[in-house]
Amino acid sequence: MTLDRAQFSRRGFLGLGVAAGVITLTACGSGSGSSDGPLVMTVWGGETDRATYQKRIDLLVKKYPELKVKLQLIPSESYAQKVQTMIAGGNGPDIMQVAENVNVYSSKNQLRPLDDLAKSAGLDLTQRFGTIGSLYSYEDKLYAIPDRSGAMIVYYNKTLFEKKGIKAPTADWTWDDTLDAFKELTEKGKTWGYGGAGWWPQWWSMAYQNGGAIIDADGKPTADSDEVVEALQWVGDLIFKHGVVPTKAQYADMGTDVGGDQAFAAGTVAVNATGFWAIAGQAESKFEWDIAPMWRGKKQAVASFGSGLAISRTAKNPDNAFKAIDFLTSPSAQSQIIAAAEDVPANLEVQKSEAFLKPAWMKSDVNMGVFAESSEFLFKAPFIPEWNEMLAAIDTATADFWLGKERSAKKALTALQKNLESIIKSAG
Amino acid sequence: MAMSRLRRREALWFYVFVSPWVIGFLAFLLGPMVSSIYFSMTDWDSFTPPKWVGLDNYTKLLTEDPVFWKALGNTLFYSAVSVPLGLLVGLWLANLLNKQVRARKLFRTLIYLPTLVPLVAASLAFRVVLAPSGPLNDVLGWVGIKGPQWLLDPSWVKYALILLSLWGAGSATVLLLAAMKGIPRELYEAAEIDGAGPVRQFWSITVPQLTPVIFFNLVMGLIGAFQVFSQVYILMPKASQPGTYNASQTMVPYLFDQAFSYYHMGYASAISWLLFAVILVFTLLAFRTTRRWVFYETEVK
Repeated sequence: MTLDRAQFSRRGFLGLGVAAGVITLTACGSGSGSSDGPLVMTVWGGETDRATYQKRIDLLVKKYPELKVKLQLIPSESYAQKVQTMIAGGNGPDIMQVAENVNVYSSKNQLRPLDDLAKSAGLDLTQRFGTIGSLYSYEDKLYAIPDRSGAMIVYYNKTLFEKKGIKAPTADWTWDDTLDAFKELTEKGKTWGYGGAGWWPQWWSMAYQNGGAIIDADGKPTADSDEVVEALQWVGDLIFKHGVVPTKAQYADMGTDVGGDQAFAAGTVAVNATGFWAIAGQAESKFEWDIAPMWRGKKQAVASFGSGLAISRTAKNPDNAFKAIDFLTSPSAQSQIIAAAEDVPANLEVQKSEAFLKPAWMKSDVNMGVFAESSEFLFKAPFIPEWNEMLAAIDTATADFWLGKERSAKKALTALQKNLESIIKSAG
Repeated sequence: MAMSRLRRREALWFYVFVSPWVIGFLAFLLGPMVSSIYFSMTDWDSFTPPKWVGLDNYTKLLTEDPVFWKALGNTLFYSAVSVPLGLLVGLWLANLLNKQVRARKLFRTLIYLPTLVPLVAASLAFRVVLAPSGPLNDVLGWVGIKGPQWLLDPSWVKYALILLSLWGAGSATVLLLAAMKGIPRELYEAAEIDGAGPVRQFWSITVPQLTPVIFFNLVMGLIGAFQVFSQVYILMPKASQPGTYNASQTMVPYLFDQAFSYYHMGYASAISWLLFAVILVFTLLAFRTTRRWVFYETEVK
């Protein structure tokens, strides 16, 4: 309502009145369900996601006919706001998809800790999901069950690599090997060796490879440590010192909203580190390509993308909700995720299954084993309650760095450290 | 007797016609407005019960929050440049359209057309136009100017926003043009007989006669400019261009982030009331000056 407050032209008043009326009416219409009403499950994404979640729910209902699940798909951009409104209005979802922001909710007492439910269901998280089983645990409590999870992987343009006589990238490539390859692959103004590492999972991977962390194990910010500074400087130098990564201006000239993913698909950058989702876009590619695990620094480390399923505090029947989650993350339901080319299923058994390694829809020969291989060295990002503010602080502090206006990573990260210290209260 | 019945009926119709607004206002606006005053004095994340903190949010905003001051500065700058500029361009276009030229109606339509394009669509189009090697910089290149990186360089994004605000100058133009048409011919004839040239006529007749419409546009423009939101959100998408988004941070996007990204509802409510105060002050200032420059015909004795 605060936003409404700010728009106070007369036409705005009327428009808002109508909008508020519609919201109120629909809220009343949906009513509050009783304990045997359907479980409301909120997820974000597009049509593929809707179809895939629905398929999995159909399997669930087939197995447990007494369960009813109502799927609500919300566009990603408005997911957080919509869920926030639902909860604030006393009509929160029973099962909700969460990701890096999981503890934004848990710290505000909105998620039910799942430890007891998991124990009584006999669910062994490490066995089912490997190291990421505890990804959504915070302060010794489990808040979500991993559902989709894939490492960030390295896409490379095989055609270009072969033309330059460079061997395929491996997990054993050091930073120096990597830089050499990027230099070889770059043709000034035409192609670039690498898509860049301006997004947090990308440059954080370098920081963790170098033995650093943005937030340490005790929850204290350590963004200005020597390890992080060195990693960010290496990433920045790729753009402005070595010219093997397009600058922001060069990207902007390639078209609206072109980043590493699109430039790789267009053949403009030879290597790109991103998630599973780019595979679908590559299916019709004009050049040969493949994927590889992330290269290494002093040690191996790579970011993971994914989401989990949580049960909200207001869920009327948490036992049923957990039963649903337990089934949705079991092999039979999880194999739908890869069958629809939606994402990487978090269930390790499925990640190692033939259905995942050789999906029916895959036209070219892609080394899907990379995901299982990478799962051994995923780093656990700090999903702190102040996650959204932390990302905003990072954006602010590194803005000039990514533009090349501030070439020193040390300066950018010193500023970031100061901001993080004021944002993260748990540090004190 | 008949008179009072008529009056009563008229009063009845008044209430009938005004009731949708009154009901809407009471039901959907007064409540939220009053509660937002309360929330602005609490620490509230919208999930757990609010905690009373008194004026802490306001003190923190005014004394400790550098982003608030930056957002306020950006908003003031944007309003101070875009509103007068929009009025000048509107006045200039209206004056051109008032000339007896051929295809006048066609030009009038063309100038109003951009106003009909939804703001979101216009903003998206501007992202292409303002690209580092986009059409605008190409044109600048022809005359030997190296165009700036409008949407990437934090020091230029404000000007990009102002440029986009001119896109909507057509609506002011139409209002000003209508007012120009309403200026009595006799005034010009009399001036001509007295030997006033076109320039003198413009400044001594057209502009004073237009001042009520200019004033209206000024107030509306001020309110709109202080609340600029969609353009900032679309032109500088936070996801792909966080740096420039921060540089161009204005009040309402900042309020939105605090409320819906960081879950600081109380803090966001405080921002909205400070924004309200700022708008109120500037609107009152504008009203204060009216006696000096706004000319209402009815006041002529």
